Amino acid sequence: MNTTRKMSRKDLFWLGLLAFFAVIPLTPWFSHSSFAQHVMIQVLLYSSMAQAWNILGGYCGQTSFGHSVFFGIGAYGTGMAVVKFGLIPWPGILAGAVIAAMVAVAISYPCFKLKGHYFAIATFAIVEIFNRLFMVWYWVGGAIGLDYGFTEPGWKNFVWYQSKVGYFYGVLLLFVLVFGIVRWIEKHRFGFYLRAVREGQETAESLGVNSTRVKLSAMALSAFLAALCGAFFAQYNYRVDPPMVMSLDMSMKFVLITILGGLGTFYGPLLGAALLIPLQEYTRAYLGGIGGGVDLIIFGLLIVVVVVYQPRGIMGILDRIVNRIRRSEGGGK
Amino acid sequence: MKKSLFSKGLLLVLTAFLVVGAISGAAVAEEKVIKIGTLFPLTGPVALAGQRCRAAVETAAEVINNAHPELQVPLAAQEGVLDGYKFVLVHADHQGKPDVAKSEAERLFDQEKVWGIIGCYNSAATKPASFVAELKQRVFMCGCSSSGALTERDFKYFFRMAPTDKTESLEFVEFIEWANEHKGSDIKTVGLIYENTEFGKHAAEEGRMAAEAGGFKVVADVAFNPGATNLNSEVQTLKAANPDAVFGACLGGDYTLWVRTMKQMDWLPKVALNYCTGYQDPIIVGQLGDDANYFMGGTGYAPEFAELMPAVAAVEEIYKTKTDPSVPFDSDSIQEAVALLVLAQAIEKSGSLDPTVVAETLHANEWESPLSMGGKVAFAPGGQNIKAMSMLTQLQGGEYKRIYPVDLADTEPVIPMVPWKDR
Repeated sequence: MNTTRKMSRKDLFWLGLLAFFAVIPLTPWFSHSSFAQHVMIQVLLYSSMAQAWNILGGYCGQTSFGHSVFFGIGAYGTGMAVVKFGLIPWPGILAGAVIAAMVAVAISYPCFKLKGHYFAIATFAIVEIFNRLFMVWYWVGGAIGLDYGFTEPGWKNFVWYQSKVGYFYGVLLLFVLVFGIVRWIEKHRFGFYLRAVREGQETAESLGVNSTRVKLSAMALSAFLAALCGAFFAQYNYRVDPPMVMSLDMSMKFVLITILGGLGTFYGPLLGAALLIPLQEYTRAYLGGIGGGVDLIIFGLLIVVVVVYQPRGIMGILDRIVNRIRRSEGGGK
Repeated sequence: MKKSLFSKGLLLVLTAFLVVGAISGAAVAEEKVIKIGTLFPLTGPVALAGQRCRAAVETAAEVINNAHPELQVPLAAQEGVLDGYKFVLVHADHQGKPDVAKSEAERLFDQEKVWGIIGCYNSAATKPASFVAELKQRVFMCGCSSSGALTERDFKYFFRMAPTDKTESLEFVEFIEWANEHKGSDIKTVGLIYENTEFGKHAAEEGRMAAEAGGFKVVADVAFNPGATNLNSEVQTLKAANPDAVFGACLGGDYTLWVRTMKQMDWLPKVALNYCTGYQDPIIVGQLGDDANYFMGGTGYAPEFAELMPAVAAVEEIYKTKTDPSVPFDSDSIQEAVALLVLAQAIEKSGSLDPTVVAETLHANEWESPLSMGGKVAFAPGGQNIKAMSMLTQLQGGEYKRIYPVDLADTEPVIPMVPWKDR
C-alpha cells in the first residue's frame, strides 16, 4: 500500500515535469533566445540518449561503450532516406531503429558470453569497426557523409529553419517515449528481471530468469531507442558523417551523462543531462572564443568535483540531502 | 566565517562581472560597429591552425579599424568603413565538429547578433555553418576551406577566397607533365594519401580525376583517420605500390608523422606534392629539420614570396604580434585576413549594411587584394574566388622555393627527391 502511494507520487511528479516542459516554449525566456532553445533541445535529446543506454547499462548492469553505433545507424537511416532516396525522413527513422535493434542483437549475442570488463572492452572495439566501415562505405557517403539540401520545413519533413519550436516538441515527444517506456519497465516484470540480472546473473538464472534473453531484449530495446535519438540528431544538424555519430566521444556521452546523474535510476539521465549539457554549451559559448580550451578545462573540473563528491551521481547527492532533512525533522520531533 | 567570506567574495566577483558586462554592452551599443563572428577550431586536433586563422582576422580588423597610411592595403589609410563603422570580432570555437559549428553559427547570429561570419578552416564545419548563414541570408566569408563541394551549392551569401582542391590537382598534374617534358622525370604513376575526412576525400577524388585525365595511372589510394598515432601500414601500402608521384592531404601532426614514417621505411617517391596542408605550416621545418626538404606543395603564401607580394610584409608584422609563438602568415591564415579585407571593401563600396546588397556587390565587382597572389579577388556564382592562385613550392634548405609556374619560379626543382641516406 505504501509502495503504491510512493509510485503515485513519482508518477505525479513525472506528469508535472512533462507539463512544465510542454509550456516552456510559451515563456519569453525561451521565445527570445534561440540559444536557450538549442540548450533545452540538447538537454532533452541527451537525456533521452542516456536513458536509452540506462536500460542496458543501468538497470541491466551491462556497460556498453558501443551505443554510438546504434545512434549512428539511426542517424544514417533518416539521412539515407532524405539525401539518398529523396524521401521524407519517417520511413528512414523507423528502418534505422529496426536495423539498429537487429544489429545490436547480432553483435551482442556473442559479446554477452563475455562478462564484466571484457564485455565493455568488446563494445569499444565495435565502435571503431563501424566507424571505419562507414568511413569507406561510399554508398552511405563515406567520410564525406550526407548533407541535407533545403526542403519544405514542417512535420512532414521534420526540419525547421527559422524557429526551433518544432524541434523542441519533436524531441519532447522522443523524451516522453523513452522515459515513458523506462517508467513502464520499472513497474513491469521485465524491469525486475533486468535488475535481477544486474544483481547476480547466476542467482537470477537459478530463479528461472533466462538471462541471455533478458540481456538481448534490453540491448535491442536500448539500441532501438538510441537509434531514434540518432535520427533526431541528423534531422537537427542537417548532416551526418561517421565522426559526428559513430565515435567513442559520442559513446562516452551516453555513459557519462548517466553516471553523472545516477546509474540505474529513473531521473538520473535527466539530471545528468540537465547539469552537463548547459555546462558544456554555456562554457563553450562564453569561454570557447578565448581559445586554449578554457571551457573544456572548467567543464572537466566540474565533472571531477561532482563525481569525487558523490560517486553515485546527482541522484546520490539528492538522496543525501533528503536523508539529512528527514534526520533533522526526526530530531526535532 | 570562512563560508561567509567566500560568499561575499563570490558576490563581489559576480557583481563586478555584471557591471563590466553592462558597461561594455553600453559602450558597444553607442558606437558604430559591425560585429563579425569568427568560427575556427580553437581546440581539437587542428587548434593551432584555427588560432592562427583567428589572429589573421584580428590583424585585418586592426588594419581596417585604425589609420595605417603606411600599409599598401585598400581602406588601411582611413579609420573604419562607412564613415567610422568599426569591426568588432566575436570569437567562437567549433572544435572541428560539424554539429558544434552549426550551433555556434546559430548562436553567433541569434545571440551575439553578428553581421556575418568568417570561418571555419575545416570544410566539414564550414558546410553546416554556411548553411545556417544562407538560411538567415547573412554573408559567410570563407578563407581557406578547400573542399570543392562548398562552392557547388549555388549559395548567394557564401564567398571563398582560397583555390579549391580541384585547382591544385590540375596544377599538380600540369607540373608533372612539365617535369616529364623538361626534366625527363619519367613519372607515370600516382599514389594518393589523405585523411579520411570531407577535405581529404574531396582532395583525393580531384587528384584522381586530374591524374587520370592527364594519362597517369593511379596505383595507390590510401586513406587514414586524422590524428593517427601510427601510419606504418599506410606508408607500407604506398611503398608496395611504389608510385612515381604522391599527392598528399595530411594536416598538422599527421603530415610530420607521414614524413617520418617514410624515412623509417626508407622510401620516397620521385615527387611528393601536397595540398594546402601540414606542408605549408612553417613550423614543420623546425620539427622535421632536413627531412622536410624536397617535398612540394601548392602554396598561396610564404615569407619567401615577399618580392611577389610586397604589401604583405608590413601587415605581417602586425600578425606576428598576435601569434604566440610569433610566426609569419601561412597559406591558410592569410586567406582569412583577405576575407575580412575584401568584405570591408564591399561594405564601403555598397554604402550599405544590408547583407543582400553587400553580397550582390561582392559578386558584381573585382576587388583589390594585395595579400592574395595575383592581387585580385572576384567571385563566380556559388562564391568561388576565380582569381585564386597558388604556386608550387619545394622546401630546399628549409625555405619554400618557388618552382612552378616557370615564369614565377626562383629555383629549379630537385627531381627526384634526394634519398634519405644521401641527406
